[in-house]
Amino acid sequence: MAQDKTNSEDYLRPIRRLLTGLVVFFLLGIFLIWRIDSPRVERFRADLVDRFVPSFSWAMAPVTTVANVIDDFQSYGRIYEQNQELRRELQQMKAWKEAALQLEQENAKLLDLNKVRLDPALTYVTGVVLADSGSPFRQSVLLNVGARDGIQDGWATMDGIGLVGRVSGVGQNTARVILLTDTNSRIPVTIEPSGQRAILSGDNTANPPIELLESPELIRPGDRVISSGDGGVFPADLLIGRVSLGSDKRLRVRLSADYERLKFLRVLRSQASTPITDPGSLLAPANGELAQTETETGDDG
Amino acid sequence: MADNSPSYVLLYRAAFALLCILILFAHLLPLDTLPRSWGSPDLMMAMCFAWAVRRPDFVPVVLVAAVFLLADVLLLRGPGFWAALVVIASEYLRAHAVSLRDVPFPFEFATVAGAMAICFVVYRIGLSILFVEQAQLSIFLTQALSTILIYPIVVAVSHFVLGVRKTSASDVNTLTGRT
Repeated sequence: MAQDKTNSEDYLRPIRRLLTGLVVFFLLGIFLIWRIDSPRVERFRADLVDRFVPSFSWAMAPVTTVANVIDDFQSYGRIYEQNQELRRELQQMKAWKEAALQLEQENAKLLDLNKVRLDPALTYVTGVVLADSGSPFRQSVLLNVGARDGIQDGWATMDGIGLVGRVSGVGQNTARVILLTDTNSRIPVTIEPSGQRAILSGDNTANPPIELLESPELIRPGDRVISSGDGGVFPADLLIGRVSLGSDKRLRVRLSADYERLKFLRVLRSQASTPITDPGSLLAPANGELAQTETETGDDG
Repeated sequence: MADNSPSYVLLYRAAFALLCILILFAHLLPLDTLPRSWGSPDLMMAMCFAWAVRRPDFVPVVLVAAVFLLADVLLLRGPGFWAALVVIASEYLRAHAVSLRDVPFPFEFATVAGAMAICFVVYRIGLSILFVEQAQLSIFLTQALSTILIYPIVVAVSHFVLGVRKTSASDVNTLTGRT
């Protein structure tokens, strides 16, 4: 009996080695393919997430709710002060509401005078946050709307107030939103009132830094940061946040969107801009004759 | 010898897969959408290594590879690399399961901690060689450290709650041979 066991073990060991080797080879192969041809693998990832995560949503919603209730429960301890605070804020808000109503009327009048019509194509789809990225290294959320609802890669998402991120990876029923705080996020922005263009690049912190800024001396903490629409992917003039000076002396953006509780997100439908296929014929004459004659005359002179 | 019957082993394999999916599920809950400055421990890795040392037959290679590949895909890592590292490390621990069986826990802990540390370092270096965008080092370090520190707790839970215990000397030889 013991003899048999050792025999079978001698048999099995090389087979096990081979199997392990094959598995490791296969895994590293997938990783290399991902590194080389990332879009294809990311599409596969979106499909898999699409299959896997919604099947859990029935369990996710109650667990998340319970966790949030426990979170909220801690705030009951100081309910009286909170109430007072809310009353005070409500008072202020009433004043703001009055101002807003007046401005709205004025705006409507002006729009009417100018015969301006807002683009009806700028509509949105609202989605519920199903899941987050699940790892501290990536900042993204998964929405319960997808290709079925006409969502496309690259569209902007906002919460009620400010820009939250960009759709990247669309499955049939889900779409992943890369948040502005993710290390892969780069958004062209304009900083008001100086009107300077810059790039907002996420670095996995709550306040992403502003990069590629031409003259930082024109920027002051508190300036508004809005999307610039450069590159044609994002609609322009979406509110992002306000400039603040980080503890590392870098200009950072305090985001307007409430990142602490992302629950419902609006995905803005953006219309594809006309693609320019041949830049040469737009700028220069189709045949190089003109250029040729110019150089000849230049030589003569 | 009830604890070596195929159905018993199969039950524990299913339990491993289920626990891993539960951990993934907990990770994916949208509770924390603000960036953090620390990393949570990789519980799946700790559990996989603890079980590979105790009962190698509960965590066959193919199951480990499948579960960690799924984790890679769902947690937005470059798919395959982390899974490959975990498979290699768990194979190393599996091969040494016999010698680790009789040593006191601190020695086992040191071996596993070393394997974990090597995995984390190789992962970080591999990603930087391939120019994959990476987050701050602090998150990475806290994740590595907390994974190592949580290992004894995972072992205790596996031992006392789940009943994953080291087997007697005569069994281990046959068990490591199984696929």
